[in-house]
Amino acid sequence: MSDHILTEEPLQFGENGRMFGILTQLGVPPPNAQDLPVFVFLNSGLLHRVGPRRLYVRFARTLAEIGFTSLRVDLAGKGDSFPSPHLTTEQSLREDFRNIVSVLEARLGHVRLVVGGLCSGADDAIRLAPSDSRVVGMVLLDAVCDRDSGFRAREIVRKYTHLARYRRWLKKHIKALGNSGGETEQAIDKFALRDFPARQQLREAFQSIQGRQGRVLSVFTSYSEEYYNQAGQMGRVLELDGYRQFCTELYWPEASHTYSFELHRSQLIEEVKTWAAGYIACN
Amino acid sequence: MHEAFFFGPRSRQLFASYHPPAKDDRRLLTVICPPLFAEYNRTHHALRKVAISLAESGRHVLRFDYRGTEDSFGNLEDATVTGWIEDIALAIQEGREVSGCSAVRILGVRAGALLACRSVGTASEIQRLVLWDPVSDGAGYLQALRRIQEAIVEQNIYLRRADRLQAMHEYEYGGGYRLSDRMVNELRALDSSAYSNIPSSKLHVVSTSSPSAFSVAGVSEEVSQCACNWETHEEDLIMPQPLLERLVACLITS
Repeated sequence: MSDHILTEEPLQFGENGRMFGILTQLGVPPPNAQDLPVFVFLNSGLLHRVGPRRLYVRFARTLAEIGFTSLRVDLAGKGDSFPSPHLTTEQSLREDFRNIVSVLEARLGHVRLVVGGLCSGADDAIRLAPSDSRVVGMVLLDAVCDRDSGFRAREIVRKYTHLARYRRWLKKHIKALGNSGGETEQAIDKFALRDFPARQQLREAFQSIQGRQGRVLSVFTSYSEEYYNQAGQMGRVLELDGYRQFCTELYWPEASHTYSFELHRSQLIEEVKTWAAGYIACN
Repeated sequence: MHEAFFFGPRSRQLFASYHPPAKDDRRLLTVICPPLFAEYNRTHHALRKVAISLAESGRHVLRFDYRGTEDSFGNLEDATVTGWIEDIALAIQEGREVSGCSAVRILGVRAGALLACRSVGTASEIQRLVLWDPVSDGAGYLQALRRIQEAIVEQNIYLRRADRLQAMHEYEYGGGYRLSDRMVNELRALDSSAYSNIPSSKLHVVSTSSPSAFSVAGVSEEVSQCACNWETHEEDLIMPQPLLERLVACLITS
């Protein structure tokens, strides 16, 4: 696809073309194109490459407007990519990433990369960053984070001072009374299917980006409230010297995990665009 | 394997995936008209599986995204129902050119079924339309989207009052998809006559046991005992294997 500003090209790559992604570029690459990193957006859970409510498509096209190339990709077994047989999840991710780097380098020459995504996309970015020196940035949306020493106190304050919680509790119980003998709501463990990276992996990922003079953007939403509840918590947990110099950490409890409302999606897209522009300023 | 590409006028290109027949070319094209909004994401995997199964049984298949949605060009706020109806006609034309087939069958899902019926009308090259849980009409569909939106707003206890009001604005629908005035008005005007205008011999409905299931008067219908909860704010994928097999069977039957 192309218009006056950007071009989009479907790519089939990897062994027997089993992988699929869409490369987005500015129609006429800017003079500094070679100096800018390429963004790679990794699937969020089982959702295909467009991301929740088209978030990755909008990231790609917004970033292209300011000169960034990006690939939104379906990892093995997701979206339009075929599974990679006989590989473990970890092996498959690494094999997929080798294929992604190969196709990007074949198209664009030597590349530096910003990897990112929402939920499992963030988990995968954390797993990939330490082992590939081309990765100079991460966009982590609802990534893993350990609780810090103040987490519990903040959780209690939030729990008992938030009027809306009482309203919801009341509504739920009134509904249950009217439903006596009927169905009861099943509590769903939202983390049950998620394979969080270990604390050490998270630390290594941030250290590797710092060592490459790269940058990290982390955004947490209400989804993370069972383990994250204050902006700056990631920095405190990681205890990395100079964390604030290369990391931007935001807490948006009013936003839902998949950015259900347009106002939050627009806000996030703008935030990513502003953050990415920092790479232009560096060059 | 499939071949992905963009097609259509330069200013509003649509994304498509073409699945050529894996064997025994039956010279028959199936165009898949997907559902809208969150239902698209929830059925993407299932519809890809249907496309692969059809290609394995010798059919050509074209999947595509409506303008302003998914990988296609444009913004949802600028999209219109008229445009989406045109997109279906364009996709059929493109599929015929790519595949070289003249005979076409359509799989329409939810609101995609309503749009497909409105788009193809009495076109003679359309042999059959298989409809998976078709929505009854645009107005009812908008109401259902609205209820989903209310549930999402209700669930979010941290939403500020101003944001809550904005999220419940008249043109914010199911899961925060913001629609234009024109889109809302056009959807409201889409009634069930879209189905009755098609010869009933061409229509085949496959329904699930979901509460929102709708029957098209005078049309043969199969009810698959799979529960598909369409009216929900949950975003889990819909992959009812027995139902997908029924869809494929309906699309390959002579």
